[in-house]
Amino acid sequence: MQDHPEDTPAKEGVSRRSFLQGAGVAAAAAGISRLPAEALAKEQAETDLQVLGPEAGQITLKVNGGSKSASAPPSTTLLDFLRNDLGVTGPKRVCDRGSCGACTVLLDGKVVDSCSMLAIDAVGREITTVEGIGTPDNLSHLQKAFIEKDALQCGFCTPGMVVTCTAMLKENPNPSRDEIRQGLSGNLCRCGTYQNIIEAVEHASRTGGK
Amino acid sequence: MAQEITIKVGFGGQFRELTVRIQDDDVKPWQPEDRLHLIGDSLPRVDAAAKVTGTAKYAYDQQPAGMIYGKILRSPHANADIVSIDTDKASRMPGVKAVLKIPDIFEDKSARYAGAEIAAVAAETEAQAEAALRAIEVEYDIKPHCVTVEDSRKDGAPQVGRGGQQNVARISPRMGRRGGGNGDSRLARQEAAVKEIIDQADVAVEGEFRTEVQTHAPLETHGGVCTWEDGRLIFWASSQATFGFRNEMTSNWSRVKAKECQVLSEYVGGGFGSKFSAGREGVLGALLSKEAGVPVHMMLNRSEEQLSAGNRPDSIQQMKMGVSKDGEILGTRIRSWGTPGTGTGGAGAHNDGIYNIGETDKIEYGVRTNTGGARAHRAPGWPQGAFALEQMMDMAAEGIGMDRVEFRKKNDDHPIRKVEYDIAKQRIGWDQKRPVKGPGIKRKGVGMASNLWFSAGGGGASALVRITKDGQVEVRNGSQDIGTGTRTVMGMVVAEELGLDLEQVTTRIGNTDDPKGPASGGSTTIGTVTPAARLAAHHAKRQLLEIVAERKGWIASELDLKDQEVYKVGEGSLNLNFKDACALMDDDAIEVLKGRPRRNYEGFSDTNAGVQAALVEVDEETGEVRVEKVVAVADAGKIINPMTSESQVRGGVIQGVSFALFERRVMDRQKGRMLNDDLENYKVLGAGDCPEIDVVLLDVYNGKSNTQVMGLGEPPIVATAAAVANAVSDALGVRIYDLPITPKKVLEAIAKRDAARGTSEKKGERL
Repeated sequence: MQDHPEDTPAKEGVSRRSFLQGAGVAAAAAGISRLPAEALAKEQAETDLQVLGPEAGQITLKVNGGSKSASAPPSTTLLDFLRNDLGVTGPKRVCDRGSCGACTVLLDGKVVDSCSMLAIDAVGREITTVEGIGTPDNLSHLQKAFIEKDALQCGFCTPGMVVTCTAMLKENPNPSRDEIRQGLSGNLCRCGTYQNIIEAVEHASRTGGK
Repeated sequence: MAQEITIKVGFGGQFRELTVRIQDDDVKPWQPEDRLHLIGDSLPRVDAAAKVTGTAKYAYDQQPAGMIYGKILRSPHANADIVSIDTDKASRMPGVKAVLKIPDIFEDKSARYAGAEIAAVAAETEAQAEAALRAIEVEYDIKPHCVTVEDSRKDGAPQVGRGGQQNVARISPRMGRRGGGNGDSRLARQEAAVKEIIDQADVAVEGEFRTEVQTHAPLETHGGVCTWEDGRLIFWASSQATFGFRNEMTSNWSRVKAKECQVLSEYVGGGFGSKFSAGREGVLGALLSKEAGVPVHMMLNRSEEQLSAGNRPDSIQQMKMGVSKDGEILGTRIRSWGTPGTGTGGAGAHNDGIYNIGETDKIEYGVRTNTGGARAHRAPGWPQGAFALEQMMDMAAEGIGMDRVEFRKKNDDHPIRKVEYDIAKQRIGWDQKRPVKGPGIKRKGVGMASNLWFSAGGGGASALVRITKDGQVEVRNGSQDIGTGTRTVMGMVVAEELGLDLEQVTTRIGNTDDPKGPASGGSTTIGTVTPAARLAAHHAKRQLLEIVAERKGWIASELDLKDQEVYKVGEGSLNLNFKDACALMDDDAIEVLKGRPRRNYEGFSDTNAGVQAALVEVDEETGEVRVEKVVAVADAGKIINPMTSESQVRGGVIQGVSFALFERRVMDRQKGRMLNDDLENYKVLGAGDCPEIDVVLLDVYNGKSNTQVMGLGEPPIVATAAAVANAVSDALGVRIYDLPITPKKVLEAIAKRDAARGTSEKKGERL
């Protein structure tokens, strides 16, 4: 595959790819890494070139530790495939363009906006949605902290918040208040639960996952 | 029938006795000396586990078998009449099951804002529905438009309405006591009288203030999922008025005319005032489902939500105030304009509430524009009004050289707020020195503002409490919990009355097959629902104790329930636990349905009040404003659950800071379209900008009902933007009159300040 012009070493001295990689590193240093979906898709395309669609085909994904399968066109986003085709409705569609984080899921442990990548690009990867983090009868430590600190109101942003904060604590078990704020920068809440979420993450961090 | 009782009212250890008349079967409000085992405890929400695990199913998440997807075609033009709509091609597209034209349903052949509904389709997949929309051919008669208040007010501006409607309409003439005679002549006399008062006052201050259109932007969009079963419509709706939604589907005037309808709103992803009506999307969903014969998922996308699902109108407020040297406000003149979209109602600003502002001459105008319609938005009219009024208060205090807080106290006689000022002042560090950091770069300032609300609730709700023979307790009310915590608080009130833990009470909410409840509006839900729930629980308890007394040979009037047991009042436990007491029933269950006692008592205070103080830091180099801290002192009557109450206040403050610093609908005046109909260019506050919020809740025994609760959704947003603006002015020594307070406006204000002082010419040049 040919590199795009902007990928060749250019006069500006920074390539699109190195910029994306750099952005990833910066995000990781800030306490959390959010993989740009474009970079993922590109990586996939380089290793596995094939023509798909436009008609529907079988897509099988590893979701919350199990294998799930449904038929959908290759243009289907991971979010729509999870919700509409697999019935996994924890991740929410709110902005549908990667600005609110309500659709956040883990892809091999890294947070991604599932609205901004294709389902077929998630084939073979471990996908974890909020449903995979804990259930009402078996809540994760962080979920318990969310409940205790009232880190939710209407609850529509909550699945994305829980997934993001779970990844945040995994990468950085003792985040500072500023690092938590930074880690939440991809997730919007309209009811105004930020302070409670920050307190919940701090509480979960302090009590050490026990 | 009524009974007279004597209760204590007041707060903070200061109580007085009051004799009130209550309904015959009502119960006495909880008294300060009562030992309550749950009320006043910070208990987690009963639905929190469902929400943190993704198992809470919202309307958006419903997927009944055979469900297809509805989509709406919208006008790209800001002002047009629809000449024709050709849906032939669309109806033959793959997967399409139903197609509707708006003029056929709503008898409206105009599209008066970019985003107005034109047609709707339902198809097996979302992609098929979207493809079908693209195949619909519409012929428009395009007319000139105006999308801003300024453009619409100009002579010869394009007409927004149809027929003889003027663009600008007077929506509130407010007559003073110097009135007499009629209409315009009365207004003219009032205007002259107030002018004279202001002219003769020791000091007069004036300003023109502007606020921008703010969209509600609830994360779950409007709409729902619906299906018809034997002529009965079942609608999972994202609604903050389940019963109102049902009426829109079943009433005679309804376009759907369902014989029966059940609305289900178990979880709702935010509303903030925008989800009172089923809206056109609700009507279209129901009709598409009827035509297609299968369930339809009809939810707006984010762009549609921003364009057509409601907003807070903007405002231009001109105020002039005359004050005496000793700090009394003598008279105030107010003119305001705002656009609620293609209509004129609801564009007013409450800039004359809260304080005594002397003789008032106020006229409000609603201005039609070709923009998406306003809807009630968390304290409609109040945040924009407070933004102007509170800055005027500061300007007046500065004009006579009086402390800003003392000036407020002097013109305010609310008994609760009088106490709240000092709490806010102390906790924000009002009198502390705030040295300028760096070489004149970062300055801090503090500001204060007040709020007022009226949320004791009223009639129109009932609750059903059911106690079963095996000791299960359930309370039902069909209204909704849009994130406020109503479900939890309703359960707590019932558990308190029955001497049980919260976990022992199941709460069902958001189902119109259950007893009637109010819309989540005016912050009245909790004050309306909880007195009914407590009353039903009380009478269920009395029935249970009658049975217990009969079976055990005790005297029912001497018994009560407490700590999971039956006990004898004044003596103690009778060693019969709740479960065993229930087992004494002959029948399967006791069920009591009670309405909300009709009247609020003449209590201690008819309104609830709050004061907020903000601490900001302004970077004079970049113009960036950071709100470091907001102290919010709030009164919501008796506090049932401090934690959920505090969350409500924090939420109001956060939306208020967002309104102050970021939010603005941007209209393209040439094309007539909203440019930021998304969540990346329409800025809402994120975690990084969230201030520290210090909430102080006063526990007020207001004696308004048997629970004495007042709602808290709206009041906290009223004061925030005003307090932030006053703090920015305190920091900079120059005032900003327009929201949002962007870096650009801050830098412009600094340049003006420096130019006036004739000091830093360099800074002026840099701009």
